[in-house]
Amino acid sequence: MSHTPRVLIVEDHALVAKFYSMALERAGGFTCVVTEDMHEILRHVEAGEVDLAILDVSLSGTEWEGRPIDGVQLARLLKQRSPRPLPILLATAHAMAGDRERLLAASGADDYLEKPVYDAQLLVEKIRRLIEMQPRA
Amino acid sequence: MESFIQEMKRYLNFDESDARLLMTLGPRMEKYLPELSERFYSQIPHHPTAFRVFTGGEAQIARLKQTLQQWARGLFSGLYGEAYADDRYQIGYRHVRLGLEQKYVISAMGIVRSFLSECLLLEFPASDERLKYSSSLSKMLDLDLNLMCESYMHATLQNLRALNAQLEYANQELAQASHSKDEFLAQTSHELRTPLNSILGFTKLILDGLCKSPEEEKELLRDVYASAQHLLGIVNDILDLGRIEAGKMRVHIEDLRPREVLDSTMPLVTVQAKEKRLEIRDETIRMSLPVVRADEVRMRQVLLNLLSNAVKFTPKGRVTLRADLASHPGFLRIEVEDTGIGIPPDQREAVFLKFVQVDGTQTRRHGGSGLGLPIALKLVELMGGAIGIEDGAGGQGTRVWFTLPLALTTLAESRDPSGHTASRQ
Repeated sequence: MSHTPRVLIVEDHALVAKFYSMALERAGGFTCVVTEDMHEILRHVEAGEVDLAILDVSLSGTEWEGRPIDGVQLARLLKQRSPRPLPILLATAHAMAGDRERLLAASGADDYLEKPVYDAQLLVEKIRRLIEMQPRA
Repeated sequence: MESFIQEMKRYLNFDESDARLLMTLGPRMEKYLPELSERFYSQIPHHPTAFRVFTGGEAQIARLKQTLQQWARGLFSGLYGEAYADDRYQIGYRHVRLGLEQKYVISAMGIVRSFLSECLLLEFPASDERLKYSSSLSKMLDLDLNLMCESYMHATLQNLRALNAQLEYANQELAQASHSKDEFLAQTSHELRTPLNSILGFTKLILDGLCKSPEEEKELLRDVYASAQHLLGIVNDILDLGRIEAGKMRVHIEDLRPREVLDSTMPLVTVQAKEKRLEIRDETIRMSLPVVRADEVRMRQVLLNLLSNAVKFTPKGRVTLRADLASHPGFLRIEVEDTGIGIPPDQREAVFLKFVQVDGTQTRRHGGSGLGLPIALKLVELMGGAIGIEDGAGGQGTRVWFTLPLALTTLAESRDPSGHTASRQ
């Protein structure tokens, strides 16, 4: 990898967002952008500054065009807006049978994180793999 | 019943000459009736269904013998009108309700038939006259048996319909309950995973040595502690609701000074309110509030739930607490009003259901177990009060209120013109 990977984290539970960013920075040496603000999210993604995005399915603080937007819709939007291939990890605490397939299909996300996510090393490895799988720009 | 009688008339096309013949037969058969009933009921113990049904002993058998004699008299009276059909129907229906099987009635009718043939043989040794009578009598007995069988079918059908309706209803209830359980499980699992994520995540970061300093470790441990507290709150809510739904929630009702509960509960939300720069006001005007009958722990739980909801769903403005005598006599009313996002009138009932948050979106966007108001509703009901939601002041925000019954001492003193409110002892 030529540069330090930059990961966008959109997660409405502050402590969970804090865990992601600490885990990725400490165990992977990644740079993290944590935000729930739609303008900021789009600014980072459209500038092509983001190598991967972790999106939570339920977002209480994020709005788009005056309406609440969830992680599934946001994943589709970011895939469209990103100037280069953007791998997306969809995170959720929905863990009943069928949730994974349903949410992956609806969002177009590349992989799925089932909460609780707590192993920093495994998370870093998963993200590295997803980034390396992308065609180089 | 009406349609049944209409149908029965079909069976009542009994020839008039036959009827007249039987009427002349009546007086001559009278002397045989006691023996008819003896024979008839001597058969009962041998029939398994009948044995199960006729459990009334000798007295019941004696009554039944009387009834049978009356019925046989009726056979010879020639009055085979609607009342007769109705009577046969009632008897048939009662038999079905008792669980007496139709085949028993048919075999019993066989006993009557053969006994009456014997009687005719004794009364009319000349065969041509006997044949005349036996033909009419046989028609009458056929008609009677038909009526009984019809009523059996009708009653059985009615019973089956009622049973079907009951089963259908029970089935729907079960499907509904099963669906609710699935939903509850899915939601509960979801609610528990979020705090668990912080607890497991931060402890693993510390254990993996990924913290920069002991201070940072300490900071993360504080987050772990807060998340574990949150988790405990959710677990307690789930247990409370489980207890309530199983009918096992016990409240310890005693005379209680509400002022003390209000004063000790308010501070529990001031930290969160301060973080959001919300103003918290106590607009209770009365210096001393009347004593109520309530469970202190549960009253505090309800009030805390209303206050934290108000803080949680209010981005800016204030949360106001008020307490005063309710317009409904004999109750104290406590209300919490906020300037928050409000609840549309058509969704106010829904927030008392499990796992529902109303904020204009389909998904639940705010933390919490989603069980607070359903629990508050049940607790208030257990304490004999009521709970409700209305618009906040000026149609903005939300006002949630609940009532608690006043203590008897309060009620007595509230009639006291001096206006002093009650105190304990």
